[in-house]
Amino acid sequence: MVVQNLNHRLIKLALTIRTVEEKFLSLFSEGKLNGTVHTCVGQEFSALAFAGQLQKKDFVFSNHRCHGHYIAFTGDTRGLLAELLGKASGTCGGIGSSQHLCNNNFFSNGIQGGIVPVAAGYALGNKLKKNGAIGIVYIGDGTLGEGALYETMNIISKWEIPLLIVCENNFYAQSTPQSVNLAGDIRARATAFGIQTFKGHTSAPEQLMDDAAIAIDYVRRQSKPAFFLVETFRINPHSKGDDDRDAAEIQSYRDRDYLTIFSKEQPAYYTRYATTIQKEVDDMVAHIVTEPELPLEAYYEPSIQTNSNTWKPLQPVNKRQVELINHFFKDSIAVIDEMVFLGEDILSPYGGAFKVAKDLSVIAPEKVFATPISEAAIVGISNGLALNGFKPFAEIMFGDFITLAFDQLINHASKFHHIFNKKVTCPVVVRTPMGGRRGYGPTHSQTLDKFLVGIDNIKTIALNTFFDPVIVYQQILKERHPVIVIENKTDYGKKILQHKEANFVYEINDDDYPVVKVRPAAAVPTLTIVAYGGMANLVNDLLRSIFVHTDLIPELIVPAMISQLPVATILQSVKVTGKLVVIEEGSSFAGIGAELIAQVVERATEKIITKRIAAMPVPIPSVQSLELAVLPGAERIIEAIKIHFL
Amino acid sequence: MPVLQQITIPLLSVNDTSLTVVAILFTQGAAIIKDDILLVLETSKTTYDVVAEVDGFIGYTCDENEDYAINEIVGCIYSDSTEVPVEHSKSKKNKQLAAKPTTLGNTGNTFTGETVFSEAAIALIEANSISKESFIGVDFVSKTIVEEMLGIKKQPAGKLTTGISLLIPVDTTKVVVEKISSNKKREIAFLSTVQSTGLTSTIHTQVATAGIFVHINTTLTYLKNSLLPVIIYETGRLLLKYPLLNGYFTDDAIALYKEVNIGFAIDIDKGLKVVKIPSASTQSVTQIEEGIMLLSNKYMDDSLLLDDLTDIGFTITDLSAEGVSFFKPLVNNMNSAILGISAIDEKLQRCTLSLTFDHRVTEGKTAAGFLQELKLRLQSYQSKYHPNLNQNIACFKCFKQLKDDLADVGFSKCITPKGEEAYICQSCFKGF
Repeated sequence: MVVQNLNHRLIKLALTIRTVEEKFLSLFSEGKLNGTVHTCVGQEFSALAFAGQLQKKDFVFSNHRCHGHYIAFTGDTRGLLAELLGKASGTCGGIGSSQHLCNNNFFSNGIQGGIVPVAAGYALGNKLKKNGAIGIVYIGDGTLGEGALYETMNIISKWEIPLLIVCENNFYAQSTPQSVNLAGDIRARATAFGIQTFKGHTSAPEQLMDDAAIAIDYVRRQSKPAFFLVETFRINPHSKGDDDRDAAEIQSYRDRDYLTIFSKEQPAYYTRYATTIQKEVDDMVAHIVTEPELPLEAYYEPSIQTNSNTWKPLQPVNKRQVELINHFFKDSIAVIDEMVFLGEDILSPYGGAFKVAKDLSVIAPEKVFATPISEAAIVGISNGLALNGFKPFAEIMFGDFITLAFDQLINHASKFHHIFNKKVTCPVVVRTPMGGRRGYGPTHSQTLDKFLVGIDNIKTIALNTFFDPVIVYQQILKERHPVIVIENKTDYGKKILQHKEANFVYEINDDDYPVVKVRPAAAVPTLTIVAYGGMANLVNDLLRSIFVHTDLIPELIVPAMISQLPVATILQSVKVTGKLVVIEEGSSFAGIGAELIAQVVERATEKIITKRIAAMPVPIPSVQSLELAVLPGAERIIEAIKIHFL
Repeated sequence: MPVLQQITIPLLSVNDTSLTVVAILFTQGAAIIKDDILLVLETSKTTYDVVAEVDGFIGYTCDENEDYAINEIVGCIYSDSTEVPVEHSKSKKNKQLAAKPTTLGNTGNTFTGETVFSEAAIALIEANSISKESFIGVDFVSKTIVEEMLGIKKQPAGKLTTGISLLIPVDTTKVVVEKISSNKKREIAFLSTVQSTGLTSTIHTQVATAGIFVHINTTLTYLKNSLLPVIIYETGRLLLKYPLLNGYFTDDAIALYKEVNIGFAIDIDKGLKVVKIPSASTQSVTQIEEGIMLLSNKYMDDSLLLDDLTDIGFTITDLSAEGVSFFKPLVNNMNSAILGISAIDEKLQRCTLSLTFDHRVTEGKTAAGFLQELKLRLQSYQSKYHPNLNQNIACFKCFKQLKDDLADVGFSKCITPKGEEAYICQSCFKGF
């Protein structure tokens, strides 16, 4: 008799999880589930030991194999069934389905490793709130190959973030046995970061429950992270038919499976429980299948873009852009409880590579976090903070490094709101300087804005030196969704609107992210130029030369938000000029200019002559002569306009 | 060597191409000693003290709160106080003086700043020996502007290259210049929208008016012998059949008004205005006449409301009181057509109706159909079509009934020798 001491409540819960999982497989075979499903048959007690022993205020982040964790933490079997059946009553309205669930502090995402820094950020939020809540993030042994995990382990240990990482080791990464792709010792990985480790096995659930409780208590009492390695067996395939494991091996798992043993040793109880649970699940499914699915308009409502046509004069500000940004943060971080600032090298006295964070750590030391060189974790932790009600500002030291955080931007920040059917918002802000002309070379000079504006549901703003950047940052404080701010290295040291070209009028409109228009004082313009970010300043200095050399009277339009371009404003100008040139510092293929011109041409009724002027499609060289040749400079701009339009 | 140390702007940060002088710590020509802080510079990251390397007398060539480029000289230490210049050439005062000639004074529509010429414009100016002075008041002189001045190129319709009418010479010794009123400018702008496309045509028709008022006047109270009320009445109904004439051209579509609101032009020494008879297709002639009177009074009292002047889908301009034979009316902004009413030629018993229409919205056939139908509708008011109404009208001399007037010329109203109002047939009137 091996099972006699385990609480039957747990056995019934484990049976519920298994029954639901097997129901999913059966529904899939009947063609009633859209997509895929990853079941946790054999691993149920891992869910109950950890997610099942948390307090209501705690949280769980899980992965693709999350159904058991979900039921153990929320008890919402019906919501899970409806979710996978694609019904509006599902926990995420059928949008997320199997891998993307969200309900009362439970979150899951199908990206391996990416959830770990997000969970760390959420836990950091709890620590800042001092609410005594802790969290668990479940990973599989396959996730041990992900770098974000190690970035996060380093940080949670250093910052003492109360997060329990539960690694469910079922010895396979999808179909690949662990011996093929995992080196070294699993627990030693956590130990190396100074994280307390624990170990248990789902075949001994009673012991596992006790050890899990000890680990949870450790994290809560010590307010420190811990790592729990749970060995377990997955009885079913990774998802459905993808199982190449040896039949004898699988049978050995079945033989050691606690519920199988229970069914043999306590057949009366097992049958009674199994029958009751099966009927409950079948009844729920019978009802759910008759329910409606979410209508498209409840999921996606196209936004209507409008641009203000009220223009007022622009005034210079006798302060450098970097000072104004720094003052904004200094003024705000002291009074806005939710504001948190993260980044590399940002502590005083250094204050960040470009000094935006100067003195912040003196003003609000508890809310300014100097991170290691871990861009994925910086943005991931910021995402977690944002989900937990904070307004994090993450600084990526150079724009080129933002590629290291793309998973967090694309698969997490931009998607949370929608995949969780609008239950959450993620008001994270990522700031980064881009641009060349400083000789920093190929990996510290590129303008990558075109990659960012391609991310749906994230606003991308490019600061310029025509107006006070605080206007942009004040608006960002109001945003409920992610924002990326591209600052320009060469603009940091410039004062606001210090140079006005003679014979031009400088105006700004009332948009949330204002558009600047530089128009001829009296003449009707004959060329519309759109430039933004650092290029806008350069083009502004060229306006007179452009006219003198090309005979075209330019009107310059400078958008701040580049993820949604002010097409109506630009179209209004183009209708008069019939000529549009877009000047960008990134390369032109599939760039901002390509997008803008496409949108303008789609809406224009008259013939328009268009041109893109951009960086050459090669890395930015360090040597000054080549750097200036590769980037769009004065001579090239004037020459290109002359050749193209005359 | 009088200069002991040149003070230049150092390169302190790769991001700053210029630094700001935030503090000048000595007066010009003051004696300083080695290690004195002479200046405080500000970078985008920090402040930086400029220290004297030698003893001497300081001569600054910079001002506080001004930016100076890297390597720019901002002062010198001299061995003798007499070497120190009293005032430096870069001072704010000098800068302002130097900048003055190019300062813009762009007030309203008048540009008073420096004129900038393109290379192409200069080449043309020089080739034609034109004085650059001719372009004072223009901000940018392009080749096109010069060509327009030379008459080589006409201003494109709807696109005035410059807002300034410089190109038409004004010799004040020969002419008196009167500024155009803002009302007139608005009127020009209003009419330019459609006409500037060059895509309008005007068609005319003549309406036989003999006897037309015999019937019309019975329904009119204030505007007897005026065609306007009945034309508005009939046009209102016809526009339901010709909706394209009750609309306008937009960028990529044609907008059709849902209501038939007809405007009529009014100009009685208070400027031209087009006022609205709303829902004209549902109003009776009497109601329309009352509407015309009410709007005319409001025009005279300056009490017209915005609603009286907006949402007009079709306009009628009546110059019949001015004695014109025919004219070409101009289509208003956000209209596709306008109807002009000329004076009734008493001798020929007819009047000209003119319809200008926007070809982008409709075409000649439709416009002609409208005008023809309107003509027939108006002519239907002639007496011969209303025998029942005219049966009591008889010539006071020969007692011929109007309905027996086979010549279809009509009777005249007259005063009898007894001083009474009566009718006289054309035969008796001519003394036959």
